[in-house]
Amino acid sequence: MIHVRGLRKDYPGGPRALDAVDLDIGPGEFVALIGPSGAGKSTLLRCLNGLVTPTAGEVRIGDEAVTGASPEALRRVRARIGFVFQQFNLLRRLTVLENTLLGRLAHASRWRSLVGWFEPAEVAKARAILVRVGLDGLAGRRVDTLSGGQQQRVAIARALLQGPAVVLADEPMSSLDPALAHTVMEFLRRINEEDGITVVASLHVLELAQAYGRRVIGLSRGRVVHDGPPSSLDAAATARIFGSASA
Amino acid sequence: MSPGSRGAAWVVILGAIAWSAVETEVSASRMIEGLPFMWDFMRRMVPPDLSVLGNALRGATETIQIAVVGTAVAAVLALPLGFAAARNAAPPWLFYWARSLLNAFRAVDTLVYALFFVAAVGLGPFPGVLAVMVYTATVLAKLYSEAIEAIEPGPVEAVRATGATELQVLRWGVLPQLVPQFLSFTLYRFETNIRAAAVLGFVGAGGIGFYIQTYLRLLNYPAAATVLLVLIGLVMIVDFASSRLRARLI
Repeated sequence: MIHVRGLRKDYPGGPRALDAVDLDIGPGEFVALIGPSGAGKSTLLRCLNGLVTPTAGEVRIGDEAVTGASPEALRRVRARIGFVFQQFNLLRRLTVLENTLLGRLAHASRWRSLVGWFEPAEVAKARAILVRVGLDGLAGRRVDTLSGGQQQRVAIARALLQGPAVVLADEPMSSLDPALAHTVMEFLRRINEEDGITVVASLHVLELAQAYGRRVIGLSRGRVVHDGPPSSLDAAATARIFGSASA
Repeated sequence: MSPGSRGAAWVVILGAIAWSAVETEVSASRMIEGLPFMWDFMRRMVPPDLSVLGNALRGATETIQIAVVGTAVAAVLALPLGFAAARNAAPPWLFYWARSLLNAFRAVDTLVYALFFVAAVGLGPFPGVLAVMVYTATVLAKLYSEAIEAIEPGPVEAVRATGATELQVLRWGVLPQLVPQFLSFTLYRFETNIRAAAVLGFVGAGGIGFYIQTYLRLLNYPAAATVLLVLIGLVMIVDFASSRLRARLI
């Protein structure tokens, strides 16, 4: 499903963010991406949907290339990839329903979507997803009146409405308190198991990675230093990922 | 800041105030001598002469019209100017020139522009409209550019990540962050422009100010009082309506 070869990313004036990353993630996998902050987790996730252009290397989603894709092809790939952000990244003055419907922009008629007219069938689908994430009754509310946990569920609803094959989640719970973090992770697990959506979630809490990931990939200074099931995360592996200080 | 330099700063500030007060001939005794005249002035205004109410309302209407047209055209002109003067939207050379030009033009107030435009296009409300328009365009452009610079990149990135086209990203990622603020700034300027347009008549640029000045010159205080009351009512109504509207926008 996700194929990464020789991925490298240099930011001007900064250290190398990603270095010689090779990865293959199959359909339906649930991958926890762990590593200390600055290890390159966000950069890797953003390379997967082309929000960041890598310096070198290749990314493919299914049989579509992300690296070197035309703008049109890139939009097609992105439409199949839901992205859940740490800071939710909702349009705070828009309603819950409007924010959710933004997940349909790539499918909606271009000109109609510019005036804010969405097909009744799409609106119905959006409402159904809002019920699923437990936000029914809040469709007309402005998102800036919601709690953090509710806002992250709007963001997940937006990603789900895309009808994605893959959901990438960049520390989706680190702006939330621990109880809510579990709700969000639980929901990612459900869409993985019930809908067969491939999920790659970066996490900075080791316990969450062990509890939810069925495969744990460890990044350190831009390199993959661990790849295996949660049970393989022994003291030596965590030391490789987080450095001996936190092991 | 050391105690010594702080003391020196206070000496400079107090010195500047004292010097300015002396040079502007501030005088408590002259103020007290003037009190009976102020009282006399007020007394002669009562009762207001309501027979000039028609003129007052005509002037008030024209003041509103000057503010409406001037603000509306300025809001449109300020859009490209605002983007040109936003650090994150314009190339550096354009940003630099736009900012400098806006700062220069904004240093001149509406009334000064009115003098200029009365000389250029003659008396009447039209030079008033031009004056309001030029000053408001520069002020709004500055406010717009600050809103553009404060845009959150996260939601823009999120809309792009759904596979949206650049036009859709602009419509759904950028505009929802800007439009309510732009409207709010514009309404606020409309409020202040009512006040600014009210004195444009003093220099022959139309509106209610013409009647205030005319009646005061003719020493017709009761008539001037009526016009002033209409102006106060007008400003209060516009302030109230506009601030209610703005509270709903943001």
